Amino acid sequence: MHWVTRLRNRFRAFTNIQAVDRDLDDEFNAHLAAAAAEYEATGLTREAALISARRDFGALTQVMEDCREVQRMPWLANIGRDGAFAWRLLRRSPGFAVTAIVTLALGLGANTAIYSVIRGVLLRPAPLPALNRLVMIWETDRTSGTSHEPASVPDYLDYRTRAKTIDGLAALMATEVNFTQTTADPERLLTLRVSNDMLAMLGVTSVAGRGFVEAEDRPGGASVVLISQSFARRLFQRVEEAPGQTIVLDERPQTIVGVVPDTTDFGVLQILSTAAYSRSFVDRGQAARVDVWMPLQPNPATLPRETHPIFMVGRLAPDTTRAAASAEISSIAADLEREFPVNRGRGANVELLSDVIFGPVRPTLYLLGAAVFVVLLIACVNVANLQLARGATRTQEVAVRAALGAGKRRLLGQFLTESMVLTYIAAGAGVALAYAGMKGLLALAPADVPRVSLVSLDGGVFGAALVMASVVALTFGVIPAWQARRVDLVTTLKDDGAGKGTAGPHRTRVRGALVVAELAAAVMLLSGAGLLIRSFYNLQHVAPGFESQGVLKAEFQLPASRYPVDRRVWPNAPRLHAFVRDLIDRTAALPGVTNVAVAANHPLDPGFTNSFRVIGREAEGANWPEISVRSVSPGYFETVRLPVLRGRPLSDADTPELPPVALINQAAADRFFPGRDPIGAQIRFWGIVRTIVGIVGNEKIQGLSAPAPIATYISIFQAPGAGVLLVRTAGDPTTLSTPIRNVFRQQDPLLAVFGLESLDAAIARSISQRRFAMLLVTAFAGVALLLAGIGVYGVFNYDVTVRRRELGIRLALGAARSSIVGLVVNHALVLISIAAAVGLSAAFGFTRLLSSLLYGVGAGDPVTLVGVVALLALIAIVASALPAWRASRLDPSRTLRAVD
Amino acid sequence: MKPVDLVQGTLDLLILKSLGAEALHGWAIARRIRQLSRDVLQVQQGSLYPALHRLEDQGLVKASWGVSEQNRRAKFYSLTKTGQKRLDKEAASWHRLASAITMVVST
Repeated sequence: MHWVTRLRNRFRAFTNIQAVDRDLDDEFNAHLAAAAAEYEATGLTREAALISARRDFGALTQVMEDCREVQRMPWLANIGRDGAFAWRLLRRSPGFAVTAIVTLALGLGANTAIYSVIRGVLLRPAPLPALNRLVMIWETDRTSGTSHEPASVPDYLDYRTRAKTIDGLAALMATEVNFTQTTADPERLLTLRVSNDMLAMLGVTSVAGRGFVEAEDRPGGASVVLISQSFARRLFQRVEEAPGQTIVLDERPQTIVGVVPDTTDFGVLQILSTAAYSRSFVDRGQAARVDVWMPLQPNPATLPRETHPIFMVGRLAPDTTRAAASAEISSIAADLEREFPVNRGRGANVELLSDVIFGPVRPTLYLLGAAVFVVLLIACVNVANLQLARGATRTQEVAVRAALGAGKRRLLGQFLTESMVLTYIAAGAGVALAYAGMKGLLALAPADVPRVSLVSLDGGVFGAALVMASVVALTFGVIPAWQARRVDLVTTLKDDGAGKGTAGPHRTRVRGALVVAELAAAVMLLSGAGLLIRSFYNLQHVAPGFESQGVLKAEFQLPASRYPVDRRVWPNAPRLHAFVRDLIDRTAALPGVTNVAVAANHPLDPGFTNSFRVIGREAEGANWPEISVRSVSPGYFETVRLPVLRGRPLSDADTPELPPVALINQAAADRFFPGRDPIGAQIRFWGIVRTIVGIVGNEKIQGLSAPAPIATYISIFQAPGAGVLLVRTAGDPTTLSTPIRNVFRQQDPLLAVFGLESLDAAIARSISQRRFAMLLVTAFAGVALLLAGIGVYGVFNYDVTVRRRELGIRLALGAARSSIVGLVVNHALVLISIAAAVGLSAAFGFTRLLSSLLYGVGAGDPVTLVGVVALLALIAIVASALPAWRASRLDPSRTLRAVD
Repeated sequence: MKPVDLVQGTLDLLILKSLGAEALHGWAIARRIRQLSRDVLQVQQGSLYPALHRLEDQGLVKASWGVSEQNRRAKFYSLTKTGQKRLDKEAASWHRLASAITMVVST
């Protein structure tokens, strides 16, 4: 392995020069001693022998240097020399150095940060080994036009037995459980019920204990759970102790049979947020980690074909494509539709699991990636411009070097080293910047971005930053070398130097083109940012139909064991209704509370929908979409300020004993009762007929960017379900958090309270992904604007400096100062016009990337685009007028006499 | 007889040849060459040491530290396998060259 020795020697020669020199000393001294010994043997004195030995040896230091040279690489020495030279040059022109380094650091830093996010979220291998073979099977509903619905248990069992293109079909159901402990308040834990083959299919193995077995996955099976590693660590000293222990969930003891890794819930959050009608865990405003896993125990008796609570995840059979599976599953769905009347209108939709998980974030991340890349390009153009300007003043130096025998390659090497020194300093600063910015970036990132916790500045990111910097450095090294190619030795050396005044038409054109390029890039970014800002503004000013300000929500779930719903007295549920009444009374008594309501769902929770019929128009209703059913206490309308447009609101008089009533929203009235009066009409769902007594406004329960769906409001006292307490106060609603927790504690100490936050906070979170994209693109556009401004200033400043004489002659011949400024600004305006044309056409491509993030504004919105161009024109005019104005103040008699 | 200068490019061959039998330090190599050539060939230290370091760098000889006859820390060089092969090749081509030159010169 001689190359190992060789490498070691080289490395040693590079790092430990003293040791190398010591070895050479020893080696030569041994030689001298031997030679002297020989002389001594011929009869010379010791002294004389040594002198003779030395004389024979020759120039000791020269030999030493020659030996050292063997292990050193000449190009390495050149790099060292060039590096030192570059460093001196940079220190001599700090203005150039600082501008270039800051510019590049901004560009490289932003790219490093965004790349680390993209890498963490999208590029890293998923924790599921077979992710690209896994598919989601959604049910679809032609009557309501939804394509991402959960499935029913009987459908799932049928798909499992019939499908041949799927060689494993698992199912999961998202729920939450109350975890009661002796020492602290009850807690709400995110829970998944999964079929026993789910974990094996995902490729997950337990870190302690075992997974579920088939016998546990049957209706009435054992009460067993798996828990997450983090949860196990919290409960027990060692994770291995967990299996065999018992914990109390939903007031029932459950035996822990195993512990699974925290990453086991990979993708679940995205599945839930993709599904229609389903609440994502993220909406709860709490840590989104699944801590408890239970067997699905699918029971068609309790979960019949008309309820759709479960999600199906399948693995494609070998040599099968998604398309083939989709075709087969669709035909099975058609069979089921023929066999079962309740499946009317139902189809199926097969989607790759990876698309479900990454699909929603891809556009945002690619958009950000494109945006930072444009920032880097602008930074590069700026530095290229600086280099060009500097190159013009360095022709003398280059000519001298060339005259002294520096070849083209040697000059290129020197320029490359210079740009590397510059770029690597900038890259270092950029990485530091990225590191500092990372925290802020991740704090801004919406919670439903998958794997955001994996984002970090690791070796891979540093590697990418290094590669990026190297590419940039190479480009910049080549520019001055390319310029030097045109240096004419004789004329340059005869010239008295100091870059006297002729920029030359060629160079001016190149610099003009660069200015156009960076202005165009800035137009593109600013257009994107402008559209996102307008969308965000529109969203924030969208009327949600209710008033969130001043309202606090607190969610809970009543266990069926203690708050039973008896189907014989349906829809009465005495204990549940008593709980609701007490909760309202106790909360209303708190100081500062102006309104209280209890509802099944808060206004940002889409809740569930049901099919319904209008009495007397049954045939018509067969193709009507499902309607959102909202169970609310009578105080709801006052509490969230949802206006009752006609008729009467619900009242305390609407008791379970009296005929049930309902309100419908304006959307439903418009859709189903055009030209008729809905009040007095009767609608039926859940087998109960209700009389419509009023019409209320539309609430945007599916999110601010989605239109308000059709909805009906029924009294919570004429329906079986409660899930959220809503409280309005005149002051800051969050101050009520503790008193409200106490109310729950008094009323039912075993109940877990969750999602305790203001409605404003819930709204803010619902648009957090747009906010993320908007803030970042705006920040990048701001940087782009700044850089473009600096770039334009730099170019015109240089231009004016070079043209001092010409401008002086014009002034001396009687040109007005204003016409001098006009001359320069005119030139700038020409460049801006070209840039605007180029930039706007590029912007159409760029803004297409963000169409999914726009709201209430088109991708080609003229107001935004005109505004952007106007803003940029303003910046460019100021940046060019400033140096022009300075030039016009010059005294022509001085400029003309100056010998530079 | 006065020592003659080395023919260009033959120093490496001489060094490799002198290392054929055992590991030697720099001075001993110079002495061996002098002895083998019966004092005709005199190697200058100025060329010997850079040549040794270059051969080491190329992997033709390897070095280890030992103690010289004068009880000093000295660097001993020995032939590697690659060095041995190179020596055989160089020696063969030298013989061809030398006999060719002899033929030309003696006619």
